[in-house]
Amino acid sequence: MLTAVRVFASRLLGSFRRKRLDAEIEEEFQSHLQMLADRFVGQGMTKTEALRAARQQFGGVAQVEEELRKRSGLAFLDLLWQDLRYGLRMLRKSPGFTVVAVLTLALGIGANSTIFSWISSTLLNPIPGVTHTADLVTVMRGERSDHPTPPFSYLDYRDLRDHNRSFAGLLAYHDDFMSLTGVGKPERVYGALTSGNYFDVLGVHPILGRGFLPSEEQPGAAVAVISYALWQTHFGRDSSVIGKTLRINRHPYTIIGVAPPEFQGCKAGLRSDIWIPLGMDRLAWGANRPEDRATFWLNVLGRMRPGVTGAQAQADLNLLMRQIVEHSPDAHRGTANQITLDPLWRSPFGVNAYFYETLPMLLGLASVLLLLACANVANLLLVRSVVRRRELAIRLAIGATRAQLVCQLLVESLILGLAGGVVAIVMTFWTSGRLAELVPPNTLPLTLGAHVDDRVLLVTAAASIFAALIFGILPALRSSGLAVQTVLKEEAGTVSMAFHKSRLSSGLVVAQIAFSLLLLICAGLFTRSLENAQYSDPGFDPSHVLVASYELSPAGYTSETYVAFDRQLIAKLAALPGVKSVTLADFSPLSFTIHTDYLEVGGYVPQPRESMEISRAIVGPDYFHVMGTSLISGRDFTGADGPGAQPVAIVNQAFVDRYWPGQNAIGKRVKDDEWLTVVGVARNAKYRLLTYPPEPVVYLPLYQTYRYTQDTVIHLRALGDPQAMAFAVERAVHQMNPDLPLFDVNPLTVTMQMGVVFQRIAAVFAASYGVLAMLLAAVGIYGVVAYATRQRTREIGIRMALGSERADIFRLVLGQGLRLAVAGLAIGVALSLVLTRFLKSSLYGVGATDALTFVTVAIALTAVTAVACYIPARRAMRVDPMVALRHE
Amino acid sequence: MVEVKSEVFQGTLDLMVLKTLEVLGPLHGYGIARRIEQLSDQLLRLNEGTVYASLLRLAQKGWIRSEWGTSENNRRARFYSISAAGRRQLAREAQNWERFSGVIGRILQMQTGG
Repeated sequence: MLTAVRVFASRLLGSFRRKRLDAEIEEEFQSHLQMLADRFVGQGMTKTEALRAARQQFGGVAQVEEELRKRSGLAFLDLLWQDLRYGLRMLRKSPGFTVVAVLTLALGIGANSTIFSWISSTLLNPIPGVTHTADLVTVMRGERSDHPTPPFSYLDYRDLRDHNRSFAGLLAYHDDFMSLTGVGKPERVYGALTSGNYFDVLGVHPILGRGFLPSEEQPGAAVAVISYALWQTHFGRDSSVIGKTLRINRHPYTIIGVAPPEFQGCKAGLRSDIWIPLGMDRLAWGANRPEDRATFWLNVLGRMRPGVTGAQAQADLNLLMRQIVEHSPDAHRGTANQITLDPLWRSPFGVNAYFYETLPMLLGLASVLLLLACANVANLLLVRSVVRRRELAIRLAIGATRAQLVCQLLVESLILGLAGGVVAIVMTFWTSGRLAELVPPNTLPLTLGAHVDDRVLLVTAAASIFAALIFGILPALRSSGLAVQTVLKEEAGTVSMAFHKSRLSSGLVVAQIAFSLLLLICAGLFTRSLENAQYSDPGFDPSHVLVASYELSPAGYTSETYVAFDRQLIAKLAALPGVKSVTLADFSPLSFTIHTDYLEVGGYVPQPRESMEISRAIVGPDYFHVMGTSLISGRDFTGADGPGAQPVAIVNQAFVDRYWPGQNAIGKRVKDDEWLTVVGVARNAKYRLLTYPPEPVVYLPLYQTYRYTQDTVIHLRALGDPQAMAFAVERAVHQMNPDLPLFDVNPLTVTMQMGVVFQRIAAVFAASYGVLAMLLAAVGIYGVVAYATRQRTREIGIRMALGSERADIFRLVLGQGLRLAVAGLAIGVALSLVLTRFLKSSLYGVGATDALTFVTVAIALTAVTAVACYIPARRAMRVDPMVALRHE
Repeated sequence: MVEVKSEVFQGTLDLMVLKTLEVLGPLHGYGIARRIEQLSDQLLRLNEGTVYASLLRLAQKGWIRSEWGTSENNRRARFYSISAAGRRQLAREAQNWERFSGVIGRILQMQTGG
């Protein structure tokens, strides 16, 4: 056995040292023959006789050499080398073909590796720096949604953590912005309050210092772990950072650890830079959330024990949750309590909630583009195989088997495929980083840094080989199946007849047109979705509005002082020249910043398991007037809705339709922290995504509603360009408090693009793939028709000599092309009808089989193919019969 | 006269080459061919090229090593020498061969009714 391995290794090595081995064998034999001849000369022969005798005694030098050559290497490897060298030589001989084929493939493969690089860095590597993410699940309570609020209270979490039997560990965290002071200039960083077992469950070991101890979960442990990035930017990677102090929301914390460079928290796509124990909630935010079972503020993530399935773990937690709800029903009234677990790639928490459908769909589109590119290259190969018929026939005639020929041709395809793959990877190094650029300016600490990793390289290589087989196999089989005699006897001029009848080549063109129709229809559907979303009425008027955010509580403002600040700021801003009107809110529309609350609605009895978690907007005086959202009844908030006045609220139409259908809402009551009287009903406006149906919203007056963690967003309607007001707004804020950072200053029309970001991503890609597909198809059909026409020059000449009109010839050629186009369109429409229904959930305001899109796209593609056929048809029409007939 | 041609004799040839190298030390292909010719009293007549096939087989199995050097009459030649593994293999094979030829010998000496 060992010997067999040794022999194999030796032969493997032999294959790689072919040249040297051959030379050595040659030299050794020559020396042997010489010695033998010397001996014979010594016995009295002449030199010539001696050499002949030596050769005879040695026995067939050439055969022995061949025998040794065969045995010293591995046959298939030797053959492969040979084929590779031959293939490279053939490709070098026709650089035009090679370049076009490689670039076509590079586009197709690159489209796939780009999307895959994004999938790899989001869905497949959801939380960098954490290994074994396969057994991690996020825990959701209530209805699944792609914008969930943290679902657990600390006490619920602790019960689940301490009594479950399915998890090796269950961690909890609450992530939010924090203000960082005491090191350099004040800064707003994203961070998390975490359970004591946070780093242990994730298996993350700080590179300096330590993580938290379970005991540090209790109030009083003012310790912090900082990110590697923060360590780098704020402490110059000083290793004596452990034990130093920094201030988070104005309270001092001791740094106990520095996280590894890759680690950025456990919510996919969002980057945290600071971690503190959740027991510090009172110090960090002046709240006391850990003690209240009805305050749901924690996200929970668990590592399942080995051998436990997701279903078992889910059943386990549901059982515990039911016991918890029975034990403390008050805290869970009006909330849905069923628990669902999700693996990180499709977790509702973090960016994957949005990507896990979009990205695979884009990969699907990209793979169609690759197939199309393959069809193009296959057609190029077919054309080439006609040119190479003689070469192949000669090789068959001198003894190559058909299998050898197929191998040779496939090796050439592999060279093309891999070259395309290499170019694609080079492209992907650039395109992979562009994902983040598709997302408009926003307030979220997003990290969408995709790059080319091992997985991307592997998949690209696989795609290249796969593509090579797809586009290589048919042409290889076809061009190796030659009738040698016929080919060798063939005259150059008659080659054409065999080719222009090629069903395969026509079939490929039909496939190209069908695929590009599919991609174009997807492009059309997504573009129309984007348009529909973009131009749909959001329920407010975003034009001329500038938004800008600040946060008061970390700056030391309290419930007593913030109202004064806000009032004063509004007055100051309203007095600026160029300002039409101004108000404040705790969110801005369509930027993923709207909050929710658990509410009681007067006179409405929730269904069992119905969640009363409702969108809640805190807004300043005249909000509806400033934003251009009309009130259906009642009044807008005013400056008088302040502390001490009657607690009031405004609800929207969807709220009334859902909870008080057919009733007059004015005067009814809802309970947040206290009972509030409804004083107005507003038109529906969209605050999450433009594509969502209207949802109930309750509005609370800013001056009556102090929230401990709350950004305040200035909404300023300018008379002219809102961006031009940015500087004046900033100066006004800093006149009141020079240390208060103003951030995310942007026109609302820009930030609200977040509301259509997924439509935009899909539309951008589908459209670019569609255009590429159309180009490829046009080039494909042009190539085939033009080639067939050129080959038929002689035939056309004869036809004309026999009296055909030029118009007949034109029709002949054009008709040939258009027949292919029509077949392709028919198949493409059928294909699209079947496949576009999978896009349904991503479309907005347009059906998956939208007739207008189908017809428009079909007409456009027909026009393009007609042009592609027109050019060769015109050329055919101008053929001079005399020249054509002489042409051989 | 015995001709070394068939596959059966390949193993025998390998054995002879190994033994030659064990006894004579490093030797080139030409020397091995001479030695076999001499020892077999010209009875065994082989195409000398086949020696090289045998040498390649043995080298691939790791039983012999080779090195380029200069022959006695100043020609560049490759010198082969037996390895430790080769010696072990030779011992095993020699034993097998003796047992095998003993059996064959006895069978061929069998007499009817004996």
